[in-house]
Amino acid sequence: MDLDGGGVVTPGELLGNSLTLAAGRGAYADGRSVRASVTGHRRIVPPAPGSSDQRSTVEVVGHKAHGAVPQPGSVVIARVTKVMARMASADIMCVDSKAIKEKFTGMIRQQDVRATEIDKVDMYQSYRPGDIVRAVVLSLGDARAYYLSTVKNELGVVSAQSIAGGTLVPISWTEMQCDLTGQIEQRKVAKVE
Amino acid sequence: MEYVNPLTGFRVDGRRPNEMRQLKGEVGVVARADGSALFEMGNTRVIAAVYGPREIQNRGQQVNSNEALVRCEYRMAEFSTGDRRRKPKGDRRSTEISLVIRQTMEASILTHLMPRSQIDIFVQVLQADGGTRSACINAATLALADAGIPMRDIVTSCSAGYLCSTPLLDLNYIEDSAGGPDVTVGILTKMDKVTLLQMDAKLPMDTFENVMELAIEGCKAIATYIREVLLENTKRLECQRG
Repeated sequence: MDLDGGGVVTPGELLGNSLTLAAGRGAYADGRSVRASVTGHRRIVPPAPGSSDQRSTVEVVGHKAHGAVPQPGSVVIARVTKVMARMASADIMCVDSKAIKEKFTGMIRQQDVRATEIDKVDMYQSYRPGDIVRAVVLSLGDARAYYLSTVKNELGVVSAQSIAGGTLVPISWTEMQCDLTGQIEQRKVAKVE
Repeated sequence: MEYVNPLTGFRVDGRRPNEMRQLKGEVGVVARADGSALFEMGNTRVIAAVYGPREIQNRGQQVNSNEALVRCEYRMAEFSTGDRRRKPKGDRRSTEISLVIRQTMEASILTHLMPRSQIDIFVQVLQADGGTRSACINAATLALADAGIPMRDIVTSCSAGYLCSTPLLDLNYIEDSAGGPDVTVGILTKMDKVTLLQMDAKLPMDTFENVMELAIEGCKAIATYIREVLLENTKRLECQRG
């Protein structure tokens, strides 16, 4: 094992044998050998107690962290860009509280807005362009957008502006009130703890 | 013409037959790119920029949605050669080299880790003095490593030729245009796998093996140098971070 260079490895460098080590992030197994796939520091993580695999995991942590990528099940913060009759599209901005580097688009379909009376959802009464929405990623969706869902109490609009330009304050799970004019607007509001 | 001096055994530029030109590599030369590198082999000087993995722009090019799409564009600057000739962008030579670089890099990138995304590699020849193909591959490798894109191994490339019944390593422009065989080899160094092998002439089998062996030695030397550059850069970044 090459230990000089302060544990810094380059792609292709041998990290160990796959019988004794499992490949983690930044590493891969090629037959019997575990090799690095990025430049960075080698780190060995002991196996979790009680797991069936008793091998240590070797990771290579690079200096350039990849931006977070939405995965099915991850909670994302998105800005609504367009509302249509059956769906709303949104730009994903954060994944699991991490800001993302690249632009990903998400889509909230009519049936994914709320849990009850899903056939009576009016998209225009749920979201407006510019709303900041907390949603969960349902699936990778089609080639264009991730499918997002707000079918939970804690999911929905977390921040929005009213028509007058004021901040909307939630007053129920379907209504928000403008702090300037007092006008009530319809939204699918998230229950923020 | 004598490409190897029969008395001293030196080549036209004063190198020994198995001597490479001076290497120079620098990463992070294009600020806006995700990864970039400048690579020099003697007077051949190439700049590479990598963008990605990012969302696929043109969906028509996507072949397999479970793997990242690798794209490559090779260009020669108009001022890179002695005779300043304007070449159209889509000429056959550039298209071929773009394809060669793309295939070589694709072999080393772990594309299955980045589904539905694309990686763009742009290489520009700033100064051409033979072996641009190899220099481009080396620059692209360095840029990909700088971008932190997971790779199986570092691919390096080097050319070798056979002139005056001597195998010569890393041909320059004069030796390249002598019309002799020019073998370009690309290998995954630590895994000892060949990903690129090109030759545009005929060579007897036993000579070919010697020439290829020489080119592989060259690739290994370049890989050692590239690793040094990467380690140096990582250390420098570490110091900056504190």
